[in-house]
Amino acid sequence: MTHFGDHLRQRREALRKTDRRYSLRQVAQRVGIEPAYLSKIERGDLQPPSEATTLRLAGELGEDPDVLLAMAGKVSSDLQAIIRKRPKLFADLLRQLKQAPDHAILTVVREVRDGDW
Amino acid sequence: MITLARNRLDFRFAEVHGDAGCGISFQRTLRIPDDENDYPLPPGLGRFPLRHLDDFAGRVPETWVKRGGVIMPMHQAEAMWLSFGGGYGHYPCAVKVATGKIDAVTGKSWVEQLNGDPQDYLVLPEQPWLDGYCVEEGVIRQFIAMPLGEGYSAEEQITGKAEHGGLQIIVYPMKAERYEEMRKRFRTISSAFDMAGAFEGTRISQGSEDMGLAPGGRMRQQIYDDPFGLDAWDQDHFSRCFVTIANSTVWAAITGERPPTTPPTAADYTRAGLPWFDYYGGDAKALRGAEVLAKLKTVSETGARKGDMPLPENEPVDVERIVSLRGRRSQVVRETEF
Repeated sequence: MTHFGDHLRQRREALRKTDRRYSLRQVAQRVGIEPAYLSKIERGDLQPPSEATTLRLAGELGEDPDVLLAMAGKVSSDLQAIIRKRPKLFADLLRQLKQAPDHAILTVVREVRDGDW
Repeated sequence: MITLARNRLDFRFAEVHGDAGCGISFQRTLRIPDDENDYPLPPGLGRFPLRHLDDFAGRVPETWVKRGGVIMPMHQAEAMWLSFGGGYGHYPCAVKVATGKIDAVTGKSWVEQLNGDPQDYLVLPEQPWLDGYCVEEGVIRQFIAMPLGEGYSAEEQITGKAEHGGLQIIVYPMKAERYEEMRKRFRTISSAFDMAGAFEGTRISQGSEDMGLAPGGRMRQQIYDDPFGLDAWDQDHFSRCFVTIANSTVWAAITGERPPTTPPTAADYTRAGLPWFDYYGGDAKALRGAEVLAKLKTVSETGARKGDMPLPENEPVDVERIVSLRGRRSQVVRETEF
């Protein structure tokens, strides 16, 4: 998972250029892990951390949580729960939409309806 | 189009530009004392839940269904701030925010289009959040939820009617060509508890359930001047949303979900040594604030006139620990959940 570690380091270093609070030590502290552990993750020496830690890292670094989880080879547990509740329906849906372009997928997402006001 | 994800409204304008859009969520927060002191920015205590109003169409008043949009729970006298960004944080957008169809920046009645004189909108991503009504340069009065029809809301004080309540938002993206020019120039960076059954089939009656927003205590916050000019905004493309605010009891009855707990008082929070915030937006110019909003009676003033005590725990607070925030990442810090 070098990709995940590389991405994390690049993002953190970019933020550190303008804000010292994004040093390895301070980010690790805010996320609640040891700096040595974060360092090994960034170098790709260790597998990406747990879902909860990945989500905290996403929040800390301003990354999209689903994208960062995907880079870590994971799918968030709320999405897993959605599929487990109606497995056939959602598995069919995802397979059918696999090749669809983004704009076509956006036509099936649920919009917040605007009314008369 | 607007979608709802993780209690955030995501505005996307794929027809304008692949990057065009922004996210807006509503943060729970402390109610600052409604006195004549100026307070720093209180923390975010997590997002208010948001649900599609259509999901509860059979249980809410028909006037609510007609408006569409989303529904959000607030306790009476609870405070709230709007958090901008997340997801589509880089693309500039112009955002108008109204409460009870009264513009929160100018105090004027709701119109859809953007106006530059006086400026009646916010510019994202420069404006990271909005905590209340823009009453003077660098000062807002905090948004406080109060029952509609009791005379507290900005809407009732300005129009004399308790008609709309809630919050109204409209977002316009920057024109795609302006965005592309800017990008080239700056080489911008990349990239419950089970109550639902009991209320099945019962439609709550409209009346005291509708909440409006009213002005509370004074807070130091700048509303920034538009650095791009009116011409930068693509007024042919917009998305708008009515946010109905339901009081907590009604929310539980409608959705079967437990509303968030009441936030700590400003005094308890401060005594616990937890931080307040100040934000520096660099050289950005601030708007002067609207006279009509500055003249509004605050919740405690209206309460005193009516012989009510609408705000418990309203004693002044001595804020000692203030964290200074700068730049875009401030968002993450202020929204930390305690």
